[in-house]
Order: sequence, then C-alpha cells, then structure tokens
Amino acid sequence: MKKNIFFAAAIVGTTLFATSCNNEPTIDEGLEIETTEIAEVITENVFESPDVDYHLPSALQVASIFKKSGMRFNPSSMNSTENSSNYTTAASQMLNFGVYSADIAFCVTNNQINEARELIGVIKDLADVQGMSAVFDNKDLMDRFDSSLGIEDSIQYVMVEIHERTEEYMTENEMLHTSAVHYAGAWIEGMYLGVVDFENNSENKNVGSQINEQMEILKNIIKGLKDPKNNELGLESTISDLESIESTYNSFESVKAFHSDESAVELFLTKEEFSTLSTLIKDTRSKIINA
Amino acid sequence: MKKSILFLAFFGIAIVFAQKITTLAEYKSSIKANKSEAKKSISPYLYDGYKTTYFNYKTFKQTKEVEIYLFNNTEYRLAFNGKSCSKGLKVNIYDKEKSSSNRLLLKTIDNVTGQNIMIKTDDLNKALKLSNSKATRLKRVFISYEIPAIATANNSKPSLDDRGAVVLVMGYKN
Repeated sequence: MKKNIFFAAAIVGTTLFATSCNNEPTIDEGLEIETTEIAEVITENVFESPDVDYHLPSALQVASIFKKSGMRFNPSSMNSTENSSNYTTAASQMLNFGVYSADIAFCVTNNQINEARELIGVIKDLADVQGMSAVFDNKDLMDRFDSSLGIEDSIQYVMVEIHERTEEYMTENEMLHTSAVHYAGAWIEGMYLGVVDFENNSENKNVGSQINEQMEILKNIIKGLKDPKNNELGLESTISDLESIESTYNSFESVKAFHSDESAVELFLTKEEFSTLSTLIKDTRSKIINA
Repeated sequence: MKKSILFLAFFGIAIVFAQKITTLAEYKSSIKANKSEAKKSISPYLYDGYKTTYFNYKTFKQTKEVEIYLFNNTEYRLAFNGKSCSKGLKVNIYDKEKSSSNRLLLKTIDNVTGQNIMIKTDDLNKALKLSNSKATRLKRVFISYEIPAIATANNSKPSLDDRGAVVLVMGYKN
C-alpha cells in the first residue's frame, strides 16, 4: 500500500517537476496546444498568417457605397425569403446566408424596415443550421435590432455589432473558410443589385463605376472559396462561374486599356461589355439562389 | 489502489495542462484586448473589420503583406496595434503589391511594438498626390509588415516569446 502511494506521488511529482523545468510553452495552430509528451510542451506546425493576405469589405460598407453612388434600391430585386426553405446543402446554406446578408445590408441602408425584419429571421435560421446560432442568440441584440429599424444611425451600429459578432465567432471557431463562402454569396448579390439598378439607370455613371470597383475584389473571393477546407462543399461550379466572370471582365478592351494606362482615372465599360458582364452575374446569382 | 494511482496521475496531468491553458488563454485575451483598443481609435468611423497577422520571430528578416480595398472616395481609418509584438515590427504602406517594381511607399511606422497607431487614408492619398500630381485617389493599399531578424529565435520550434501578432482594424466614414 505504502509503495503504491509513494509510486503515485512520484508520478505527480515528476510530472510537475519536469514541466516546471521545461522551456516556455509554445502555441500550436489555431492557438491550441498539441502536446506529444506531457513533460515537454513543444509544438509543430506553429500557426503563422500567410505571407500575402487580404481584407474584404463588409456587406454593410458595400451597401453604403452603392447608396452613396446614387443606386436606387428595389426590394423586389432581392432574393425572396421563401427560397430559404430550399437550401438544404451546406454550400447553398452558406452562399445564401451571404446573399441574404447583402440584402439586409441594402435594406438597412435604404430604410426598408419590413423587409429587414423579415430577412433577419431568415438569416438567423440559416445561421442555426450552420451551427452559428450563438451569433444571434442574444435577446438584447435582437431587441435593439427591432427597435432601431427606421433609425438610420442606430440600426447601422446594430448591424456593425452583428457583423463583428459573426466575425469573432468565425475566427474563434476556425471557420474563416466558411466566411469566404458567405462572402461570395454577399458579393454576387451586391453585384446583382448594382447591375439591375444600372440597367434601369445607366446615366448614373457612379453606379457603373462602383460595379467596376467591386470587380477588383473578385480574385480574393475566389481564393477564399478555394481554401482546401471548403473542398467537400462541392463549390466547383460556383468557383468556375466566378472565374468566368473574372476572366471575361479582364478580357474587355476597356479594362485592358485602363490597366495599361497609369494616368487613367476611372474605368467605364462599353454598353456591350456591361451587357456581357451583367448576363454572367445574373446567371451566377440565379444558380446560387435557385439551388 | 490502482484507482488511487490513476487518480493521482490524472491529477498531475491536469495541473500541467491547466498551466498551459492559462498561458494560452492569456495570449488570446491579449489579442482581443489589442483589437478592442484599435477599434476605439477608429471612432467615430464605422467599424468594418479586422485582420490579425500572426508570425514567429526568426533568425532572418520576414515580410507579410495585407491588401486593403478603398472605395468610392470613402475615407478610412486604419488602426495598427502592435502590443503583442515584443521584438519590433515595422509597417510600410504601399500603393501596389510587392511584385510591382514601381510601387510607392506612402507611409512608414518605424516600430509599432507596444503601440496603437491610427492612420487616415486621407494622409495616404495626400502622399500619393505629392508623388504624382495627376493621381486622384488610392483604390487599394498594401500593408507590409517587416519582421526583424532575431538572432536568438528558434526557427523550427518557436517559444511563446518568439510569437508576435499585429492587429489591424479598419473603419470607414459613412
């Protein structure tokens, strides 16, 4: 008996002694420690950010930019909330979470109260099926959302808070690859809404200019979708469609001329180029929302 | 008696992990606090997002770059918090990516270690126009973090001391 107690105490003592004499602990990927031996806390594959990285604008910022450019928002152009029950695959849920996020951002910046109220419900449901219910499970936040609708400054701060909560949740749960899919959905919806407005209001060069500016971020959106952690989602078709938009856009003479002229200030597509781009954007968006 | 041995052994292991988790929790908590501080400094601009760049000091100099988009004559504030960089970090802001031979250095922060520094894109645009009077505005900037070489670093097995992180928070004027 005494021997056994002594033996157990020796295990505990040795463990404590060995680790206290160890080097400083190290941090593993995702800031979680992975130990191979109890006595020695050494990590492999210590997390580092990539050498080349990027930050994409929030859906709220994009909506705000389009509004400032004079875009006339038409709520009937948004993705119908009734479509949400059709999204049964992980990919369609993630993409359309992004689509509806863009829709609500446009609603909020354009004071479309009833539509925003309807959309937050759909967004919450899609968050739930993706395991993100913690983002919206905050009664105080949802109450503030509801009471702030119609008060521009207030609702924007609530939307920023929702965006930040989503951001933190994705980061802490190592879901940034999922974030990239959300973003792709939000981007295509924002572009679609911009294109629809410009078609009906082509004198407004500012909206056309914004569509061109938003094209600049597409390469990084595609990069995010191609994260190996997204491989099982079956996004090949969406990636292919977005790459087609990108390559077609880059082949436009207006675009080539703009990029080769350092003194060029703004880029304006010809009517035919815009029509081609518009068709591609609409087709891609249609595939996503009709999944 | 076997149960007692197992229990005591488990207890010892638990203490070890508790120590490590405390250190890890502290590290995570410090990054959050840095972000919070950076976010305050962009006020009253609307918060748009953040990017934490993690690195390990090594025996050689390194560079990590982040591309930021600037749209439609919107003013932005970029806040850099280097309070989790213990051994130095230089921030250079360029108008083009590093593969571009004629990129313009718009702004330098010589050492962001231990500091929270906010920059306005208005100032970056002024720097652009000083260099090229025909230029109108920046549509993108490239934040280049220069991580100095540390002779004592362990390249293959970095310690917590050799870890660094810089938090960048972005805000825009609505």
